[in-house]
Amino acid sequence: MAGLAAAFGSGAMTNSISGFEDAGCIFIIGTNTTACHPLIARRIFRAKEKGAKLIVADPRNIQLTRFADVAVHHRLGSDVALLNGMMHVIIKNGWHDQKYIEERTEDYEALEKVVAAYTPEKAAGITGVPAEDIERMAELYAKNSPAPLLYAMGITQHTTGVDNVKSCCNLAMLCGNVGIASAGVNPLRGQNNVQGACDMGGLPNVMTGYQPVNSPEVIEKFSTAWGRPLSDKPGMTITDMIPAMLDGKLKGLFVIGENPKLSDPDWNHLNHALKKLDFLVVQELFLSETAQVADVVLSAASSAEKDGTFTNTERRCMKINKAIEPIGNTLPDWEIISRLSTAMGYEMKYDHPEEIFNEMTALTPKSYAGMTYDRLGIDGLQWPCPDQNHPGTPYLHKDGFARGKGKFHGIEYKDPAELPDKDYPFFLTTGRMFAHFHTGTMTRVSRHLDVEQTTGYVEINPKDAEVLDICENDILVLSSRRGEMEVPARITRAVPPGTLFLPIHFGENPPNVLTDSTAVDPLAKIPEFKVSAVQVRKLNLEFVENTG
Amino acid sequence: MQAQVEQWLKEGNVDIFIGYKNVDGHVIPHFFTNENIDEVKDLVVGQAHYSLEKIATKVAADHPDMKIGILLARSCNQQALHVLYGWNQLNPNQIQTIEAYEASSDPAFDLEQPEPVSSYKQKMGLEKSMAPKDVEAFDQQQRFSRWMYEFSKCIKCYGCRNICPVCFCKECSLEHKDLVRAGNLPPEIPIFHLVRAVHMAGRCIDCGLCEEACPADIPLRLLYRKVDEIVVDVFDYETGTSPDQSPFSVLGEKVVLDPVPINE
Amino acid sequence: MDYKFVPSVCPYCGTGCGVLFEVIDGKLVGTLPNKTHPVNEGKLCIKGWNMHEFVNSFMRLKQPLVKTFGRFMKTEWDEAIKITADRFKEIIEKHGPDSIGVLVSAKITNEENYLAQKFARAVIGTNNVDHCARL
Repeated sequence: MAGLAAAFGSGAMTNSISGFEDAGCIFIIGTNTTACHPLIARRIFRAKEKGAKLIVADPRNIQLTRFADVAVHHRLGSDVALLNGMMHVIIKNGWHDQKYIEERTEDYEALEKVVAAYTPEKAAGITGVPAEDIERMAELYAKNSPAPLLYAMGITQHTTGVDNVKSCCNLAMLCGNVGIASAGVNPLRGQNNVQGACDMGGLPNVMTGYQPVNSPEVIEKFSTAWGRPLSDKPGMTITDMIPAMLDGKLKGLFVIGENPKLSDPDWNHLNHALKKLDFLVVQELFLSETAQVADVVLSAASSAEKDGTFTNTERRCMKINKAIEPIGNTLPDWEIISRLSTAMGYEMKYDHPEEIFNEMTALTPKSYAGMTYDRLGIDGLQWPCPDQNHPGTPYLHKDGFARGKGKFHGIEYKDPAELPDKDYPFFLTTGRMFAHFHTGTMTRVSRHLDVEQTTGYVEINPKDAEVLDICENDILVLSSRRGEMEVPARITRAVPPGTLFLPIHFGENPPNVLTDSTAVDPLAKIPEFKVSAVQVRKLNLEFVENTG
Repeated sequence: MQAQVEQWLKEGNVDIFIGYKNVDGHVIPHFFTNENIDEVKDLVVGQAHYSLEKIATKVAADHPDMKIGILLARSCNQQALHVLYGWNQLNPNQIQTIEAYEASSDPAFDLEQPEPVSSYKQKMGLEKSMAPKDVEAFDQQQRFSRWMYEFSKCIKCYGCRNICPVCFCKECSLEHKDLVRAGNLPPEIPIFHLVRAVHMAGRCIDCGLCEEACPADIPLRLLYRKVDEIVVDVFDYETGTSPDQSPFSVLGEKVVLDPVPINE
Repeated sequence: MDYKFVPSVCPYCGTGCGVLFEVIDGKLVGTLPNKTHPVNEGKLCIKGWNMHEFVNSFMRLKQPLVKTFGRFMKTEWDEAIKITADRFKEIIEKHGPDSIGVLVSAKITNEENYLAQKFARAVIGTNNVDHCARL
């Protein structure tokens, strides 16, 4: 979200889900929307059927590709080059919104200077996308306003993640697509409350509502409210915590509702780091891979067993309501944290989450201050909602950017940290499949979801399969510079030749045995899950049978 | 309507009544019992329809002796009940109904319908809730490509099956790996949708909930209407008009199923 | 008699679809899409439709666990909370508050995230707060 914040001043999805239906052109890049956000994909289908154009850029053959007016398969990690190529075409043809750029933005020259070099031919050379397609994409996007750009982890999980996002912002501003309905730059959040976790200050450098910890006024306000002195030194991100564990600087870790062992890059590295901890507490619904190595496991209640609020990807804060009593001897997370805090000498006494919500809104003036449980109802409210009469905000930056003027960044293309070579000739990318979610802790125990996919698999193109003499369900050994793993093959044209796709949900075939924890975006610290170089061989089955 | 329900509950004609209530501007299903009898005044009918019959089968599965009242907001609700009686999913002696077809005139509860998807679909000659004869103007090839287009939008949510008031099989053919390959998106087409269409013969009561539940706006109602039309032509059987068995009851399902309602 | 429909929000992806939990006799038996919800308008994906299955899964943890000599032992809440509090206090005393990290979650509620970061900042005394959204 650092890229969005740098360009616009706010790191959230700019527009609303329902608004996509009325778009003139939808640009999908780095999101397999039908599998990962199916009810957002619905809006894309509807937009298409109302006459919108659809551009899909994805290294894989995703379901939406079938419906695209232009579909391109750019090489993994070449997003900046593709976007710069499009902007080059737009500027060259004068399709950009000069008035908008002058009135609403700054540093346009920085962009113009950089993209001048990215002719479609140059971009084609890097991305593998034909120059005509880049020109066609540029034309469709620029000429069919409003044009929302949608992206997900396919843009952010790169060493150049922040650059990728900034390039998306550049393109949107260039065509005046920010601050109007049915347009904008729209990161689709992968988990139900990522937006909320960030909004609530679940980050090392900010309190609720992105109030920075290194601001004396902010620290003053919160320490008065909480009655404790607070540190103004930004803390460690999760990517910093792993080396700190290995160095013995981080001794204790409290993990709530996450399974970093399966979701973190470089499984072996993290495994080693977790062992070095003096004390690991995991608060979870299931005995996840991470919970298994914990010293204490706190059994939490699920979202059906408690009240509270979630904030979705379009900044809509909505109430969840308790349907049943907590199962077994579990407790809602808020109650566990309150008890723990009280046991450590800081009394937290709340009878209901509503009291916590009201305490939070009082400290979060710009975004949540106008919300109350009564006002949220079932529909919820989209922040910013600064006062009790404010109706909420369907799209951001309407009259001005959160940071004043929208900022263009001149971004040069950089290669991913690792490209295929002689020893590791295949691209490996990772992602989700439609029936499972994240590390699979919630979905693999569900009968109707397990029916769809019981085991892990790796997707490989029929051409590669033929060369390597691989049949469906053959066990393949994938190895990278970090480690190796075995996984059954699925032969499909969903991936182009030379590229493999591994879903992230299956603990027995963890992709992060292969991915690199040191390849992270320098600013956002997001690891490069989407590009690794691997080699593939068929497991010698006879050997297995003889010994088994 | 409210007075009738209140009387039923008080006199013990029904133990539970399944209707609708307005919660924060949303008309959602609601259970009325003697314990919350003061809420009966909030019983409403809105434009939003849920399959209250299917909910009744779940209640009946655990409580075969419970007397259940159901609000019938549309004629298809009665047809759904007939099918469920015929397949032993509900016992007619257990069920009391109130018809309230007219009650939906209160504009406060009118469902704001998503605007119809126009240009492209109309240009291609297919809209929602169409009759089979409307598409007969197109030739086979046009029809086939159109259906393949529609099916390839499928996100395999199984919403058409899950919402269906007359879908209750313990084992669903759609999840049978020999019939439909699992784990792919879109699902294997057209077989996924055709398997379901075939199973709708003699079952579908044309309530339209499947089409409403479809995130991809696939015109499922048209597909099942065609199947129903064939059943009428060949077997002279009009699904749901009486509790009589469908001609397909000899096809095995009935034999496989326990003669009791099924609950997960 | 605990029979009700409870409006709520799907806990899977970031779309935030409106659902109705079907509670029959105190048991969660099904999930329905909220027909009039502004986000999903009465539709759900395969995960949303089957949400009740993970809630009811026999795999759910039902008791706090404490590891002693490499094996998990079931314990009561007071015991689990006390052990955790004591160990955290011990680490803070020996190595300072910045030797502890708290990973909050994109899966828990806003209220709980707020409390978790408040716990890290006000109780432990560190800004080492992050979540797995980067991953």
